[in-house]
Amino acid sequence: MFGCCWCCSALRPRYKRLVDNIFPVNPQDGLIKNNMEKLTFYSLSSPEKLDRIGEYLFQRASRDIYRRRNGFVVIAMEAMDQLLVACHAQTLNLFIESFLKMVQKLLESTDPQLQILATQSFVRFANIEEDTPSYHTRYDFFVSKYSAMCHSNNDDSIIRKQIRLAGIQGLQGVVRKTLSDDLVENIWEPVHMDKIVPSLLYVDKEHAMPDSPTEERSDPPQFAETCMRELIGRASFGHIRCVIRPVLRHLDNHQLWVPNYFAIHTFRIIMFSIQSQYSYTVVEALMTHLDDHSKSSPKIRTSIADTLSKIISIAAGESVGPSVLEIINSLLSHLRVSVTRNQSSSNDEQLYQEALINALGEFANHLPDYQKIEIMMFIMSKVPYSQPDRIVSVGKGDVLLQSILLKSLLKVGTKYQTIHLNTTFPPSFLDPLLRMSLAADAEMRLLVQKIFHTLIDRHRNIMKLAKPTVNMVELGLVIEKASRPDVIFIRKHGPEIYLALYESLELSSNTVENVESIYTTLALLAIELASEETILELLRLVLSLQDLALTSGQISLSLKFNLHATVISLLVLISYVCNITVLMDYAEKVVDARRKDSPHLLPDLQSQYDAALTSRLTPAVLVDQTVVSECLKGVGLDSGKLQQGSGYSSNSLQHRHSWVDSAGRNSLADINSGGQELDSGGSSPSVQKKLPGEELTFESMKRILTENNNNYIVEEEKRMQLSQFFRNAPFQDLVSKTQPKHDVLQSKLSEIFNTLSVEPRNTVSTTGQQTDAKPSQTPSYEIHFPELFVY
Amino acid sequence: MEDYKFLFKVVLVGNAGVGKTCLVRRFTQGLFPPGQGATIGVDFMIKTVEVENEKVKLQIWDTAGQERFRSITQSYYRSAHALILVYDISCQPTFDCLPDWLREIEEYASNKVLRILVGNKIDREDREIPTHVGEDFAQRHGMYFLETSAKEAENVERLFMEIAAELMEVSENILFKSILLLW
Repeated sequence: MFGCCWCCSALRPRYKRLVDNIFPVNPQDGLIKNNMEKLTFYSLSSPEKLDRIGEYLFQRASRDIYRRRNGFVVIAMEAMDQLLVACHAQTLNLFIESFLKMVQKLLESTDPQLQILATQSFVRFANIEEDTPSYHTRYDFFVSKYSAMCHSNNDDSIIRKQIRLAGIQGLQGVVRKTLSDDLVENIWEPVHMDKIVPSLLYVDKEHAMPDSPTEERSDPPQFAETCMRELIGRASFGHIRCVIRPVLRHLDNHQLWVPNYFAIHTFRIIMFSIQSQYSYTVVEALMTHLDDHSKSSPKIRTSIADTLSKIISIAAGESVGPSVLEIINSLLSHLRVSVTRNQSSSNDEQLYQEALINALGEFANHLPDYQKIEIMMFIMSKVPYSQPDRIVSVGKGDVLLQSILLKSLLKVGTKYQTIHLNTTFPPSFLDPLLRMSLAADAEMRLLVQKIFHTLIDRHRNIMKLAKPTVNMVELGLVIEKASRPDVIFIRKHGPEIYLALYESLELSSNTVENVESIYTTLALLAIELASEETILELLRLVLSLQDLALTSGQISLSLKFNLHATVISLLVLISYVCNITVLMDYAEKVVDARRKDSPHLLPDLQSQYDAALTSRLTPAVLVDQTVVSECLKGVGLDSGKLQQGSGYSSNSLQHRHSWVDSAGRNSLADINSGGQELDSGGSSPSVQKKLPGEELTFESMKRILTENNNNYIVEEEKRMQLSQFFRNAPFQDLVSKTQPKHDVLQSKLSEIFNTLSVEPRNTVSTTGQQTDAKPSQTPSYEIHFPELFVY
Repeated sequence: MEDYKFLFKVVLVGNAGVGKTCLVRRFTQGLFPPGQGATIGVDFMIKTVEVENEKVKLQIWDTAGQERFRSITQSYYRSAHALILVYDISCQPTFDCLPDWLREIEEYASNKVLRILVGNKIDREDREIPTHVGEDFAQRHGMYFLETSAKEAENVERLFMEIAAELMEVSENILFKSILLLW
């Protein structure tokens, strides 16, 4: 045949002759380079012939494949490759048709070597940027075939690996080719994605076992991963679902959720390569998938939730606005569904719930702090409450849900770093939390206390204060002076918190853990808010607790002993924290007395005490209120409110917002004005001015304290008089008196302050006194108040 | 050289182990591989046949029967011109699954797809599904029916040739109609 061709070659068209000439007589000799150069030159100089050349090459190759002369096929392919690279982009589209036909032809053959060769050529083609769109090209065969190659099960493991690798490379080529050009096939169609994605995952999974270490490029799973990353990295918002869906289906079909090692691996790849602004759609998709699996075994659901928790943190950084709450809401509703499923007795279901809570915590962990508070409030708002009258108990399901939600809350809380208490506990969060601290279920109360612990503690003292103790020195507590906003916070909300804790201790269903946890809360409060201002309040609570232990008829004897132990521990702690030596000595004395007579009144707490012990206690072992107040007075603290007696009792609910009882220092009985007064005290410039910058000595604190008190009085009186004055005085007077006299103002004010602070202030000033005092004020003050307003 | 007038895609589906791969192998390579392992994902074979002096190229996609590969195999239904649904005449469960397979075909394949029901392994002695049962089922669901044996090479050639002929007729009809319309 060749001889025949040779003799009549002169009659054949030139391009055919040139093509024929590149083939050697013997296929082993390989491509004849000189002639190939001639062919290349020819096709470059007359590009219009390129399509004929391509076609002829393809025909020759098809014939060679048919006759199984693979050597020539390889040569033909090589020639095509060279032409492809050499030709200019504009003329290429004429050639591509035959080139792709050639590749397809090779792929259709059963010889793996030809398939691999074809893939290599195809990849080379895929890397060329075409500038004429080739929308007539169809890639569906390539997608199908390359996907099939990824699943190759050739008997020879080396060939199998090679074919699979070729399959991935081919897929990558198709993806590259189609993505760079809008006019060709839409690769994101499910028809294609459903083939591409599972194939990639399959290869990734099959070879994921630690094989012999091979170099990066030739390792199928490595390559599959790279390809996956590339694919996902290019996905736009609308296409993400097209990718995720096959992934989820693949994981379902291959039962790869349990164990979920591979699922996590896959989703990590997805999360890290996806355009970050879309990452929450992946979370969403996974969440929906969890919905779809609501009927599946808890194990699968746990694994999905676990996967969720592993990837959610990656998404958290990018999620903003409503998507955050949406995710949280969805997690919470999953929790609720899980609770209502009522199989909570099963261990798996519990694991599932834990996985969900973990996911929640992980998510919260990666959000900025202000969002954490939002989330905590959001969770809190989802907690079903029993109504304020606690007689109507909530259903069993609700109790479970409550405790689950509180657990989630705790999880989020542990991720939160408190800086200022008032930002951590906005009233809308604090109130429900305090309400929950009085829940009927002892476990629940424990949870609430734990939430308090984690939110209050800023110096990692939790572990040291887990149990009551009288040896404070050994604990090595980290104590820092309370900041101003914190003091304001505790002044505002302290009474509520203390009252809630008091009432919580009153409950007869308390266990030792409950008492201990409340102790920890109180101790943490004492440490975090260590200032003379606040300890008075705390001491009052401590004394009330002792009262409770002595007088209550509801709680058991052992609980009473627990309370006594708590009381003495707190007393020691407070005196230690505030460094009041006298009080420390006294506490030490009581501890000694107890150690001698009744060691059961000292920590550790026990749930059961010797039955012989009675509730009768000698005064020596009790904390004496008068002694305590003496001690306080000794260091110059205003001990008056201690003597007001117990402000906390079970029926003092209405006192919750009253400043008169709890704060004690008020001279005004008007409840409504309490808040006002506090605000003015907090914002009063004179107070801030007098706050020493660095030297927080005992004396300075004391001074501030007393001055504060006076300030309140002054201001309150001012206000009263001002209103009085404006009501009664004639207009002329008003005009004349509101003439600004600023320079006078300052001196006058300081004068007033001086006179007032000299005045012996006694603690218990009642309403009556206050009203009496008003008319007796000298009118000289009145003059300045309008200026104060202007000021 | 390799000029074909028609290209048809044929997809084989059916439970695992009914002999899909063997049918394809028998047809394309003329051999019966003993101890053929389970297909993973999808396999691909090609054969050009001659019908009425026209060359017809058959792309045969042989899918895995195993449940876990369902997602990948389903994606191949859509582009198919013909679907061969295979069951094992000596295995009742493979026949019982046919309605499920049909449902899947309904869902994923194009509605014009040619559907053929094939009862394979008629060389086996322990037949469980009588021929008429299979015939009835095929008739009820508007499918062609054939019983084959990949081992004995019985009806295998016929199966694919008839498919090729049928598909050719259909597409020639369409061609003819469109020419008429153009006229």
